[in-house]
Amino acid sequence: MLKEMQQVLRLIMLMGKQRQKLGLRTGGGLLLLLWTDTEVSTQKLNCTVNCTVAAAGPWCAGIQMEALQPALVRLKESMCPCVWPCNEPDPEELSAFTDLYGSLRFLLSFQVKDTRHCTSEWQAHLEAFLRTFTLANAGIQIHLKLKINQEASLREFSVKVKRRVALADQLLLTLDVTCSAPPPCCVKKGCWCVRGHPAIGGRLPLSIPPQTMEQGLFGDLSVQVVTLLTPCLLPYPNVATELTHIQVLVYNPSNIPVTGPSGFFQKLPAVLDCQELGLYRVYCSSFKDLVYSGGTVYTVEKDSWDDPEQESSLPTVQQSLLLFFFLQHSDPFTSQLTDLMATEMLIELHLEDILNNNRQALVAAVQTELRNTLKSQNHRKKQQEKLHAAAEVILGSSMSIVSSSSNMDFRNACLSRMKVCVCQVHDTHELAASLRESLWRVTSWKFVPKAKCFSTKMEVHPENDEPTTAEI
Amino acid sequence: MESRAAHFCSEIDKLHAKLLINVGVTTDWQRAEKEINHQEILNRIESIILEIVTSLSKAEAPVLALPNRSSWANISFDSAIGLQMSSRQSVTTIRADCPSSVTKFAQILKILSVIYRLVQSNSYATKSVCLHRDIYYNNTKLFGSQKAVDSIVDDISCMLKVPRRSLHVLATSKGLISGDLCYMEEDGTRIDCHSSSTAVSVSSNISGIKNIVSSAKFVMIIEKDATFQRLLDDDFCTKISPCIIITGKGVPDVNSRLMVKRLWDELHIPIFALVDADPHGIEIMCIYKYGSVAMSFEAHSLTVPSVMWLGLLPSDLQRLRVPKDALIPLTKRDESKLCSLLERPYLTSQPEWQKEMKLMQQSKVKAEIQSLTAIAPDFLTQIYLPNKLRYGGWI
Repeated sequence: MLKEMQQVLRLIMLMGKQRQKLGLRTGGGLLLLLWTDTEVSTQKLNCTVNCTVAAAGPWCAGIQMEALQPALVRLKESMCPCVWPCNEPDPEELSAFTDLYGSLRFLLSFQVKDTRHCTSEWQAHLEAFLRTFTLANAGIQIHLKLKINQEASLREFSVKVKRRVALADQLLLTLDVTCSAPPPCCVKKGCWCVRGHPAIGGRLPLSIPPQTMEQGLFGDLSVQVVTLLTPCLLPYPNVATELTHIQVLVYNPSNIPVTGPSGFFQKLPAVLDCQELGLYRVYCSSFKDLVYSGGTVYTVEKDSWDDPEQESSLPTVQQSLLLFFFLQHSDPFTSQLTDLMATEMLIELHLEDILNNNRQALVAAVQTELRNTLKSQNHRKKQQEKLHAAAEVILGSSMSIVSSSSNMDFRNACLSRMKVCVCQVHDTHELAASLRESLWRVTSWKFVPKAKCFSTKMEVHPENDEPTTAEI
Repeated sequence: MESRAAHFCSEIDKLHAKLLINVGVTTDWQRAEKEINHQEILNRIESIILEIVTSLSKAEAPVLALPNRSSWANISFDSAIGLQMSSRQSVTTIRADCPSSVTKFAQILKILSVIYRLVQSNSYATKSVCLHRDIYYNNTKLFGSQKAVDSIVDDISCMLKVPRRSLHVLATSKGLISGDLCYMEEDGTRIDCHSSSTAVSVSSNISGIKNIVSSAKFVMIIEKDATFQRLLDDDFCTKISPCIIITGKGVPDVNSRLMVKRLWDELHIPIFALVDADPHGIEIMCIYKYGSVAMSFEAHSLTVPSVMWLGLLPSDLQRLRVPKDALIPLTKRDESKLCSLLERPYLTSQPEWQKEMKLMQQSKVKAEIQSLTAIAPDFLTQIYLPNKLRYGGWI
């Protein structure tokens, strides 16, 4: 079912991409209705799931189903286990959708017979896939309605914070840059950046291996890397950061996530130069809190010979890095929707070969992105060490004067000042401790507001997909 | 012999008499400056610490405000004193939460704590002092260089509005002195500068010097150590006795300037400057005479407005027909420096100096004192200086 759904999404996305080139809007809604037939629902062995995919909104404006017939025929051929047509969906379900996004521009229903689709595990996979899809297609609001075995559920995949990025060839993407990491306790209300700031990396041409060419894949293939580091600590320049996880997500040219494990990316850590990066090691792991499906997750460990005592006292925020690999393909001899779909399926089928054929360049690209990310991390660490060393001198010198002063008014004034924030400061020992804590907090969590972190223009309504970011 | 000596010094004596008249006008004003007592210094340091504690109690980053000692905008000129810091000066903010300034913040606090201890112990009649280099060597990682300590002590002196000598932190001296002069250091060491072959290092504790004894007729400030050594080698102080020669070895340190000032305050004898005929030499001379921007907050204890320019004058180069191959063309930097000097407020009251500098501008050449050896090897000490002093060749 997931594969079939991907195919249908591919068709819609490729249509949308063509229209994007015409400068048309890309926001809108996507409805996915999945329900089981009541007469067979009790017999799980013969579970039949009906699926309706509907699209509406600006991103679909101008699409006519009649014009899609050749592509739909091809689509049906590629989804042969499905049954065409299937039961029509409940008109009320569709009307609620059209009320939000306008009249339907695309509607397709099909049926799949497979017991796996009746399980909660499969539903979790589906949701993870849709979340990953939304990550790079944040302008499309997805409504997933499930009625499996008489259990109904409704999920809406909407994005709080979006950011439009322009890749090469004027390709525009709307990314989900929402950061849901909770702020540390030292952060005041309203002073936490809830978004990531994508950084566009290099565009890397990929050579197509000969065996893939023999299968019919020609033209120019490339990959554009985009990185997203979260949570954002730009407003807190003195806090140290620690990169702990990296996730690689690959998207095909129609911007649909490539699912399934990648041998290439799983072996990638072994060929990274960790020493150059100042890391102890990077290894493939199964990150328990995996939000996005597909992709490969790495755990990062830093050098173990750093001073553990100092490290434990220095505030450090852990960060995760998302590495987007956006595949792009162009072939002047491929313009028909059907050919585009076939090409994309070829790319997905031979992706491992393509990646391996460009191993050196891809490894270098990942190394570069990690180096750039860690440069900032290392700089922060040095700054924090500087602050820490100076703070000890400041505190020692101040306390030396307070302790040796014979001016009772001065000493009492110092003690009473700190009593305001700390209940009991009776002597210079306690004064030293409370001064240390205050100095640390004040210097480590120094807040420098950044316009790009707190701009009020980031929220975008679905029907308005004007550029979302104002870089002031 | 005596009449020859008297004749030799007649111009100098006339100048001396003229200076003594002016000294009567200014001395009372200078002496009016009060010494700050030790408790007041401690109070000022404590108020800085209390401000830091107050900031931290409000969860705000502590900040120190240092008067800006490098901006001409903070300077005013008084012909009786020289360059001094304006009462309304701009400040530089040193924050404790900024990595680029936190080290300086820590350095200031560290030195403040050292000063506090030293001043505190002095209140019990034991004069304790500390050298800049001691502070540096006790904390090399924090300060990085002795120069950093020097600069911060000056910043603290300016911030607290306390004379450097009251902070009990002494800079090491680089200057040398020789001639008709004896004095006693604070620790009781007796210093005799009469030796003809070796010079004495300028004391690190000028304010502690007492029992100054000298019959010198004049003091000569010499820009460069090489020239100073030359005069020592040629036994200048014996031949043109009695006199005192002193050098700061280029841009003078504070102790060399303090020493010149002390000699003026004690002896009220003419003070001449012997510098290269180039913009850098003129600027060095102006530092002794009018002070510097960086130390303008302590102008009263550092400047000697009565300093006279003895040589090497640009007009001397033409008058003496110094060979052309001994002259050096002015660089772009020299020309720029010369223009900058001519615009300085203190030169408006020195028309003779302006004339010499404009002559240098027009001729586009400069010369070191050593260029006089092109006329004759011992021309400087045998002919040039004796004639200059005999016939009043200073401006």
